[in-house]
Amino acid sequence: MHELLLFASVPVHQHHELLQQLAGLTAMQPRHAIERRLIFKAYRKPGLITGRVGGSQDLQQSGDLQRVNKMLNGSMFYTQVVGPVSEKELGPASTSMSTSVPAPDPDTPMAGTDESKPPAPVPNAAVPDGEASAYDYEQQPWRLEFRDIPEAATRSAITTRVMASAALPRGDIVPSMNAWGYGFVTEYLVEGDIFIHNDIVIFLHRVLHYPSSDNEPREPRRNLTALKDMEPLEKTGSYVLQASITVQDGTNQETMKTASQHLFGLREQLKSAVRLEQADRLSLDTRAK
Amino acid sequence: MPVTGVYFIPSHPNASTALSTLTERLRSSFTDEDFIPLGRWALDHKLMRDTPGLLPASANPGQRPSKPRYMQLLSLTHYPSHGFIYTSEPTEKPFHPPSAASSAPSATPANGAVSPGQGGPAPAPTAAASHTSATSQGGASAAETQMLMTTVPPSSYKTLFQHFTYACQPFWCHRLTVTVPNGVVYDIGDFRVRLGDVRQTWPTARVRGTIVEIEWRGPSVVDSLAAASQARRSGSADDVDSGVDLSFSVLEEADIDAEYEATASLIREFWARLGVQGAREAILVPGIGKEIKEKLGRVRGAGRDVGGRSLKDEATLAGLGGVPFEDDIDPAAGTDVARQYMEVLRFNR
Repeated sequence: MHELLLFASVPVHQHHELLQQLAGLTAMQPRHAIERRLIFKAYRKPGLITGRVGGSQDLQQSGDLQRVNKMLNGSMFYTQVVGPVSEKELGPASTSMSTSVPAPDPDTPMAGTDESKPPAPVPNAAVPDGEASAYDYEQQPWRLEFRDIPEAATRSAITTRVMASAALPRGDIVPSMNAWGYGFVTEYLVEGDIFIHNDIVIFLHRVLHYPSSDNEPREPRRNLTALKDMEPLEKTGSYVLQASITVQDGTNQETMKTASQHLFGLREQLKSAVRLEQADRLSLDTRAK
Repeated sequence: MPVTGVYFIPSHPNASTALSTLTERLRSSFTDEDFIPLGRWALDHKLMRDTPGLLPASANPGQRPSKPRYMQLLSLTHYPSHGFIYTSEPTEKPFHPPSAASSAPSATPANGAVSPGQGGPAPAPTAAASHTSATSQGGASAAETQMLMTTVPPSSYKTLFQHFTYACQPFWCHRLTVTVPNGVVYDIGDFRVRLGDVRQTWPTARVRGTIVEIEWRGPSVVDSLAAASQARRSGSADDVDSGVDLSFSVLEEADIDAEYEATASLIREFWARLGVQGAREAILVPGIGKEIKEKLGRVRGAGRDVGGRSLKDEATLAGLGGVPFEDDIDPAAGTDVARQYMEVLRFNR
């Protein structure tokens, strides 16, 4: 699968207004989304000789060996494991939605959306040590979200990259990821609102870090932090507007072209509000060195 | 989860397989009333191997040849709700393995709950439930099995395989794909038999042999236990802290082992009646019955539904343009038979 993307930076004072503009454009209420994102890194056994052995004998290498060597020197990647969480799971009863945002932003439309949601079942009895948090790590659904480095030398002014998305079993995903060759690195939270505009997914979001502590956990957290205690990666609290289209068959030039045109169309429609543009390719490099 | 056995009869690339002989002997060994054709089944199996292990030993001077690691992906039509991924445990864990960080509140009880013959009255229900996902970790399970079973939704089966071949080349190399395109299912007395020719489709097309799955459908402690745990799960949570459950579970776990042994001998007896030589057997393979025992452990931490969140909630939460999360009612279903299939299909390549 391929993904086509455009990005824009949205300063925090514009956030509220843009939410309303997007709601108007897409004729839908924003869908609030909070996602845990675990970063995994492909690992190779240290000390393994991956380079060529005996350079002068290269000519004698069989085709099979050459192929294996080529594979060994192929790229390795970081990949994300993403799990949706609800506001209620994010630590002790933060009832007031507006307090969750550290920046001076009232976020009223999101509060409205939140109230319209059906109340989530709170399995309090299942919480082991009687904590207030209703978060249950063992029931957390996950999906693997792989993104390749954006394609180089595309003439079009759109970020294009290979992607893969696959649902994974619930609960502790680390043993499986370890066995598959990935080691857990770190995690963060993404908080934002999703709009759907025809075939375009618009995600107005920002990255939140867990409050820094002395000992960074070496595995995914079992308990989450309240949203208001999270620290935005961008200190001013600004948001990223991401417009994306997923194309099943990236080799089909026709569909890729159509998708690009749709994104350019959205760029024109939002021209007066934000400037959507492609991202710097190397800033989206997911290769593991 | 019924108790099964899998047999594989290898054959030469251009010779005919044992399938017709087997069908013939099945027909002649049982009366027509006992012999009921049920339908078709199919299998898809992909074998991957660690890429570094493919280097010839000589090209790697000064390094001990490491044990090969495998990743096997299996899909069975009789377990359509998920695909199976069976992976060799990593020889060395990257960074810190979960067990090292046992400071996490539920990590310690999780290990206790799965070790056979011990485990308190499950102070943390979540700990035992961690194995709903059919993944295993640390503790006793790692000692007895070197491979880790994961079940993934059907849609992920292909995507993950493509991901591994695309993004994981330095450590996973696709070696073989074999399929059973046109298997046949028969009900024979207390057994259900699945037969089929195994065809290799990648890298070259050839015939590998014939595979036979024999499933015991008579009375089984394992099956009734699964039913009992279902009943308990829907029951009250009052007995979570009672000590009675402990003895109950220890007894049952011993029973499970005995059950597997007993059924294995029934299956072997059945197989012996057919008198086919040169078959590779996979019945009591490493790790078998693990999920059933975990299920048993979960009974102690009963009182909570498997679906902690409602499906509706899930739909609301499904994130940005991603696939919706599919809910597998029983992620552990069929893991035993999957292990058996993978045991015989792990061709040395």
